[in-house]
Amino acid sequence: MDRLFELGSEFWVAAAETLYMVAATLVIGGFFGLLLGVVLYSTRPGSLLSNRAVFNIVNVVINFFRPIPFIIFIAAVQPFARYVIGTGIGNDALIFSLSIASSFAIARIVEQNLVTVSPGVVEAAKAMGAGPLRILRTVVIPEALGPLILGYTFVLVAIVDMTAMAGFIGGGGLGNFALVYGYRQYEPAITWAALLIIVIFVQSLQFLGNWLARKVMRR
Amino acid sequence: MALVALRNVTKTYPAPEKGAPPVVAIDGVSLEIEPGDVYGIIGYSGAGKSTLVRLVNALEPATSGSIEVDGREITTMPERELRGIRLGIGMIFQQFNLFNSKTVWANIAYPLTVAGASKGEIASRVAELLEFVGLAGKAKNYPDQLSGGQKQRVGIARALATSPRLLLADEATSALDPETTQEVLALLKRVNREFGVTIIVITHEMDVIQSIATKVAVMDGGRVIEHGDVFDVFSNPQNPSSQRFVGTVVKGIPSPAELAVLQERHEGRIVTISFRDGDASQAAVFVALATAGVEFELVYGGINDIQGRAFGHLTLAIRGEDATVDTVLAEISSRVDVTEVS
Repeated sequence: MDRLFELGSEFWVAAAETLYMVAATLVIGGFFGLLLGVVLYSTRPGSLLSNRAVFNIVNVVINFFRPIPFIIFIAAVQPFARYVIGTGIGNDALIFSLSIASSFAIARIVEQNLVTVSPGVVEAAKAMGAGPLRILRTVVIPEALGPLILGYTFVLVAIVDMTAMAGFIGGGGLGNFALVYGYRQYEPAITWAALLIIVIFVQSLQFLGNWLARKVMRR
Repeated sequence: MALVALRNVTKTYPAPEKGAPPVVAIDGVSLEIEPGDVYGIIGYSGAGKSTLVRLVNALEPATSGSIEVDGREITTMPERELRGIRLGIGMIFQQFNLFNSKTVWANIAYPLTVAGASKGEIASRVAELLEFVGLAGKAKNYPDQLSGGQKQRVGIARALATSPRLLLADEATSALDPETTQEVLALLKRVNREFGVTIIVITHEMDVIQSIATKVAVMDGGRVIEHGDVFDVFSNPQNPSSQRFVGTVVKGIPSPAELAVLQERHEGRIVTISFRDGDASQAAVFVALATAGVEFELVYGGINDIQGRAFGHLTLAIRGEDATVDTVLAEISSRVDVTEVS
């Protein structure tokens, strides 16, 4: 326990780093995931912008990357990260690979939720003279917003989980803190302290997501 | 000039599996719908009614033939231009298809936003429409807080928002109970009378046609098998398959199974007489039968009323000497249609 107090400030820095990585991934991965998901939904056969070639390519790319274990994925995209953001190590490099991995996961979740929107509602909007992009923006996404928020919450929890691997490429965060100061130095109290904060963090995210979804779905 | 003119229109879908023939949904349909009509299209499910109506606003492209809406050929029109055409055609649906994430107000405002109306125009038009459909108090409610009838009234208000000349109603009352159905039909009647909106009504229910349609087309197997004035088509169908269809929706025509039961239960010759408003009255028929000295009883029947004109079918069991019966049947068949069943 004493050791935990000595490390006090570093502990909070680690917590802030986790928060930073999660938030940045949510913004970047969330955006590209939404984009890919909407592309999957709207290019599937019979949909608003149905285009077999685009659908098949995106579909295959996502299926190719999705099953790769994240820790290997980090290593695999490291050269690419150096090229794009200028570094292959640290928190930012982790955000880079995590954003890619999570955007594929989010794309699937977005696609799954959008296909549940009643085709009749889309047809009604079409019958009113609305174009496909307008329908996607003003009908399809708003109609699926509640389940979309729950889907994002689900992915967000997985993102928190994956930030624990930042230490692998020299990043920080609570996961790294628990391993470096807790596990390797035989201080279970420190491991548990980091763990406790992560649990609280995840719980609040889940609570927030549920609350938002309920508010949007009005039930 | 016809508001909607279909000429030899076909619609085929690709085969559902390899080797199967393509599915012909619409098979050479020609129809003209005049401004101010309430045009009913009736038929069994799968007859192609819903596909036909979707060709009119180009939600489905026709495979061949020509479709003119308000004098403009739409089968060759690019998608962007079609959106403009769709703004001038309202549509309501069996499942209402309201936007559940938007309030009643926003639902009705949606097509106006698409049309590029200003905020002020939208506000005044939506208020006007809410008043017209009797839902002024529900502007801030969401669709899931409304009853079925209220939802369809929102659907109607939304379809009328851009002041279209044509309204397509795809089984608009099929998900409603009989009382609500009448309410919605009355509203559609007002839409037709007060705003002069031409309405195409797709339905499988005779009641709907009977209460609002001025003209009707009967569809079967992707074809229009009979069309014209509602009273004529239903009181005196010409085509054998439309006779079969009309027999199932019009009161008083016994089905073959019912006929078998009637024959078993009643002695004598079973005869169906069909009469129409304007023809000889029923009374003359009954007088002729009574004076001929044959015994008869009424075993099945029904009288239909279409826009104040009546027609009906009465099935009688007639007993007497064959020759006498023949004479009297010959006599009454000069006044009404007589079909001998057995």
